[in-house]
Amino acid sequence: MAVSADVVPRRPTLLFIVVLGLLFILMSLSSRTRYIGETRTMFERTVMTLFSPVPKLVNWLGQSASDGYHGYLDMRHAVNENLELHRKVAQLTTENLQLRQSEGDLKRLRALMDYSEQLSTPSTLAHVLMLDTSGRFKSMVLDRGSAAGIDVNDAVVNASGLIGRVVLTTKDMSKVQLVTDGNSAVGVLLERTRRQGVLRGDGGSGAQLYDIPSLADVAPGDAVLTAGIDGIYPKGIPVGNVVKADKGADLFKSIVMKPSVDFGSIEEVIVLHTRKIPHDVVRYAP
Amino acid sequence: MRWLRFLVGLLIALTLHSLLDSFFPNALAFFNPYVILIVYYSMGGNIFGAIVAGVIAGLVQDAYSGAIFGLHAFALTVCAYAVAYINSRLVLRGTLAFGACLVGAVIVNELVIYVLVNILLKQKIEMFEQGMVVKTIFTCLFGMLVYQLLTLFLREEPIEATRRPAGW
Repeated sequence: MAVSADVVPRRPTLLFIVVLGLLFILMSLSSRTRYIGETRTMFERTVMTLFSPVPKLVNWLGQSASDGYHGYLDMRHAVNENLELHRKVAQLTTENLQLRQSEGDLKRLRALMDYSEQLSTPSTLAHVLMLDTSGRFKSMVLDRGSAAGIDVNDAVVNASGLIGRVVLTTKDMSKVQLVTDGNSAVGVLLERTRRQGVLRGDGGSGAQLYDIPSLADVAPGDAVLTAGIDGIYPKGIPVGNVVKADKGADLFKSIVMKPSVDFGSIEEVIVLHTRKIPHDVVRYAP
Repeated sequence: MRWLRFLVGLLIALTLHSLLDSFFPNALAFFNPYVILIVYYSMGGNIFGAIVAGVIAGLVQDAYSGAIFGLHAFALTVCAYAVAYINSRLVLRGTLAFGACLVGAVIVNELVIYVLVNILLKQKIEMFEQGMVVKTIFTCLFGMLVYQLLTLFLREEPIEATRRPAGW
């Protein structure tokens, strides 16, 4: 392991001593300048400037990594928050729809109740289970039947006007024939002139007035009410308005009427328990 | 080439210094990367190179620490000279030898700093002994790990492994 002495250089030792001396002087100067406020000598500043890219780079990398990490955390947080907000939006949208639905229901029912209070006839509120307005036979099925006091030939109305009459009942359901049905007939009168006639459904979305003489005063827009002469419908229920009134081919006018009820949007109805004419009276009626 | 390697080592040491300063401000009280570099370089046995390396590394350390400018340069130069001097006479190789040199260098480094601070600033370093022991242990362990990795994976030998003939 030992090495011969001639290998060891001597001059480096001298250099070592000189360097230590210089460094000591440098330290002395530096320690002096500390007390007079100047903490960085020019030499120190030069060394710092030379190697400054390294701490800057380290700082930049650290800052970037920190920013990236926090950005990632923020992004994760934002994603979770976004998902949570999406869930809340869906929940609130559903609630909003339900509230709107409830509000609509409330308005309709309130209108219906107000209307039913105006009527002197006993009535029952019913919901529509099925509605068939597409075929020639216009009908609907209600969720109340004979158990609720509904009987055949009870009039069915809502706040807009006349809908039809009950033609069949079970214990808890009933079937209604709409006034637009081709087999339906309602005794009506024109509100303005009190002229009476018969309303028949045209099998489509409208109805026609029959038995109005050619000389009668009928104009488009005239309101049509139930006449209360058929033993089914009470008097004064709005039925619709005259759309067209032409002079017919024979003694009677040809009158087209538009029902006041929108049959496509019926949800609740009022069934009027009208006073029925006894069978015997009907049998001997003229 | 050896100077280039030294420069790369110095940049790595400075990077470590900056990183530790940024994230673990007290870590440099327990660990000195510059001593590892200097010992690694000085184990080549080139005294002249070791002195220059000690001065440069020490000045860089001084520039980025709050000490008197030249304090670490002085201490590291003494360490570098001592290690290089010993290695110019004894061919010390291997991780254990490197660790022994490192332990000695850290102790010398700390003692020189202690003395200089006493002389120049008339101050005493508090808990000097404890700090020196901790710094010696951690620096030695880390230095030996680095040495082992360099030897195993890069097939590195200390810079200037083969001794040069006399003269500079």
